[in-house]
Amino acid sequence: MAYDPRLAGAGTAAQQPPAPPPPPETASAPAPTSNASTNSTERTDSYKLRFCTVCASNQNRSMEAHLRLSQASSAFPVISFGTGSLVRLPGPSITQPNVYNFNSTSYSQMYDELLSKDERLYRNNGILNMLDRNRNVKWGPERFQDWVPGLPRIDHVSKGDKGAIGTEGGVVDVIITCEERCWDAVVDDLMNKGSPLNRPVHVFNVDIRDNHEEALVGGKAILDLATRLNDTAAQEQKALGAEGWENGIGEARRSFDEKVPEIVASWQEKWPNLPALWTLAWL
Amino acid sequence: MAQSGDQVVDQIAQLNAARNLVLGDAAFYPQIVNGVLPIIGAHARAELRRWGTEFLAETFASPAFATAQKEQLATNVLQTVRSILELPERDQLVLKNIIQTAASLYPLVFRYIIHHPEDKQSWEHIEAIKQDILRRWDSFSFSVKICCIKFAQRVVLVQTHGPIADPRRPEQNETSLAIVPRNHQILSLPNLEAEASGLLDRILAVFQEDTSDPILVNATLNCLAALIRNRQSISNKIINAILNFLPARHARSPMTPTVRVGIKSMERTSRALLINIMKRNPSHPLVTKMQQHIERLMQSRVEPADETSRKRGLPTEPTDGLDDAKRARLDADTPPIFKIPPLPPGRISYAQLFTLTQDAGLSSFDVKQLPADLLVKIVVPLLARVDQSSLNQVIDAVRTRYQTIQKQHIPQAQPAAADEEDDYEPEYQPMDITSPAADQAGAVSADLPGAQPDLVSLGPFVLPRPPPLGEDQAAEAGRGAVARVFGMLATTTITSNPTKGQGQQLGFSRLAGSTFDRDSWVTLLTRLATRAPSGLEASPKPEADRRKPRISESIRETLYRYILEDFRGRVNVGIMWLNEEWYNDRIQMKLTASHRKDEDEEVSVPLHYDPWVLRLLDGFLPYLDSRDIKIFIRFLSEIPEVTIPIAKRIASLAKDPERVSLCVQSFMYLIMFRPPAREICLDALEEVYQNYEESRPSAGKVLSKWRPQRVEQLQSEEATLVNRTVETKLPSINIANGVRDPRTAHLADSQTPS
Repeated sequence: MAYDPRLAGAGTAAQQPPAPPPPPETASAPAPTSNASTNSTERTDSYKLRFCTVCASNQNRSMEAHLRLSQASSAFPVISFGTGSLVRLPGPSITQPNVYNFNSTSYSQMYDELLSKDERLYRNNGILNMLDRNRNVKWGPERFQDWVPGLPRIDHVSKGDKGAIGTEGGVVDVIITCEERCWDAVVDDLMNKGSPLNRPVHVFNVDIRDNHEEALVGGKAILDLATRLNDTAAQEQKALGAEGWENGIGEARRSFDEKVPEIVASWQEKWPNLPALWTLAWL
Repeated sequence: MAQSGDQVVDQIAQLNAARNLVLGDAAFYPQIVNGVLPIIGAHARAELRRWGTEFLAETFASPAFATAQKEQLATNVLQTVRSILELPERDQLVLKNIIQTAASLYPLVFRYIIHHPEDKQSWEHIEAIKQDILRRWDSFSFSVKICCIKFAQRVVLVQTHGPIADPRRPEQNETSLAIVPRNHQILSLPNLEAEASGLLDRILAVFQEDTSDPILVNATLNCLAALIRNRQSISNKIINAILNFLPARHARSPMTPTVRVGIKSMERTSRALLINIMKRNPSHPLVTKMQQHIERLMQSRVEPADETSRKRGLPTEPTDGLDDAKRARLDADTPPIFKIPPLPPGRISYAQLFTLTQDAGLSSFDVKQLPADLLVKIVVPLLARVDQSSLNQVIDAVRTRYQTIQKQHIPQAQPAAADEEDDYEPEYQPMDITSPAADQAGAVSADLPGAQPDLVSLGPFVLPRPPPLGEDQAAEAGRGAVARVFGMLATTTITSNPTKGQGQQLGFSRLAGSTFDRDSWVTLLTRLATRAPSGLEASPKPEADRRKPRISESIRETLYRYILEDFRGRVNVGIMWLNEEWYNDRIQMKLTASHRKDEDEEVSVPLHYDPWVLRLLDGFLPYLDSRDIKIFIRFLSEIPEVTIPIAKRIASLAKDPERVSLCVQSFMYLIMFRPPAREICLDALEEVYQNYEESRPSAGKVLSKWRPQRVEQLQSEEATLVNRTVETKLPSINIANGVRDPRTAHLADSQTPS
């Protein structure tokens, strides 16, 4: 396996040898809070935060994370987007990328096209592999700026998109971007949309470099973050359900939203090479 | 009302089915909402209320459900929403949902009331909901509080004046005070506006508090964009509040990772909001301030201790898309070996020592041309990502170079030191024969090694006294000094002009030669020539002295040549010089007269004015042109004394027919404006009249005015004695001129009544 010297300094690569995409089905990040979540499986399984993963082209990083979140032991509702103007895939040279439109080109179309163009090239650089993975997750790349939050997505459920169950209402609780530029684009676009739903959404960035190996590592990290967030939210639900919030004391009275900065901070300690960013925005 | 858990689960399953129905087709919303309202009401179980309020929130936010239908449906749910809100139970999730619902409902109901002022009941409900939320806002938990912020933002958005997109189609206009009729029965514009203003202050208060929770700040920042964008009247107030907010100030100690996350998120969200505003309206009057604030946020970052240090030290790549470069699997190889160019021979500068590149352009680039702040921006990230092994290589290279140079220098330096020791004794010898002056100098220099014993170990050193100068050497040195002063004249010529105006302002009380322009150097020179050696040169043995050129004579000679080089431009130098000469002559005569003793019969004072003025005149007269009349007249008028020889020189101009008028006009000027020289000039002019035919018309006019009888006489002589030769007349005139003492001529003239 070729060795990428850019990974030399990254501690993430050392944690686990990078596996080629698609990721092994069994891979699941051992989160420190996983015990808590398994103990309360019966109660919290019904409660799931809804996630949205975002990268530039809705191909590599966001799709890797999309797959991870949808295949986790507690499969999360998840949708994914890209913030670029167009979907760009590497071509025969750096100046000849393969460019597709968002929302109207399926992963299958891209796969077929590139397969007929130069199978050897696109097999070797991992693009075909990636597209094959993606077409098994959902139909095609979607652009974040074109997303209308709150617009029902039942058709995605009927099409069998991975992670679509739970996202029928077209809203999410958490958006995770894979690059600061995408985070900026998402926050900016949410401001432009004018927050018509009056619904809070946590927007995170997990800085992941755009290559297959880093996407794998980043996917694990995002799953870890999602699990931590969901566990905290589920605990809140549980506390509110049985005993009632009024009866809780101290830590139990602190809400999920309030705990988010702490969750990010502790998550960051575990993933020091993936700088994180967070804000609370509106859908 | 007690229901078993199973029943509730069943019910929720049914409700979910109903929800899926409306998600599939929004047309079912009114039917479903009206259907579920009794199930999810204030008396239902908490689970059902949660589901119900979430469903309501989703319904009234849904972009799939048309606004007009929402508006109609809104009034139906008000009663339920109000009763759930007013429950004492305070379920967080229900509250969150209900306030979100209220935020969506408020503009709908407001718009409905605008068109249905008779529905006081609905207005009462929504007012009660609003007041309840605003009253309890501060007591809610954070999760609910953020929803209150959003609700308040909605209210402000509605209760301020918004833009009117199209007056003809009011249904398309945004819900705001702008579409409320002035005489509305229920809605009182001033009250609503005042309420919105107070509410805005309450929203913005989060920026002014000492410690604000990041989650509240972010929630506020992220909902302000719509207010700034669509509400002109309050946008500046909001922007100013943001500009006064510095997240770094909220850094509490201890600086835990959680606090850091919070501060960074507030900074980035502020930045995102300001950029959003500037992108929307690049010509906003506060753009520069916003820009500055963004820069300030960047600077005040707590990041140095934060994420940046943990970032991987590789350049960021274009990340839009997946380029080849990103997925290129580079072979693992050792860092490139640098080629270290050899040092050039000879002396090595520090720059050469450290220059490792062979690129001529790079090595000659002056980094100092770049501003310091730019350099910092370049160098700091550069240093951060310098490859360690490359850096080591390069440092080793420079070190090796330096050591090589040191080795070369040490063997050279030691023989040099030995040489110095050899010279040590001979240099000491002059000390033994020093004069008192040299002793002092020695004392001074002897102090130095005492003060700095480590640096100067050679002991006191005194330069030998120079041998006394010979007369020739002294003269040579004197000439050298004079030449140097002339050199100053040449260099200051250009700068003298601008200072002229100032020089005139100085007036008579000025100190000559204090301005260090050309004039002052000329003054210095002329006085050096005239006054400095006075008294010294009147030696008892004039015969012997004459052979040797004196310093003053050489100065005069040089001055003379200097003026003749460009007499038109330097005529003022000549005038100044001649004045000094004349003055000096007077002083010398006076001095000699006062020291005169009876026995000294033959006292001679060397006079310089007369010979030099004639020499100068002879020097430039041949070159004088008829156009130089102004310069010539200036010279004649400003020299201290006009003598008969001078007048004769002027008269000689008339030999040249082209310069006759120059000659006559010069005389005329002197006759008119220089009374002491009048008679001399008239005599000279008379001579010119007689000798040169061409001068008669002009000279005759002058003479007829000043000597009318003489002109008549001359004319009659001319008429009768046409045959007479010129030679017979000349001696008489010569004699007439010759009897006059040139020194006293002007005195005699001035006493003569004109």
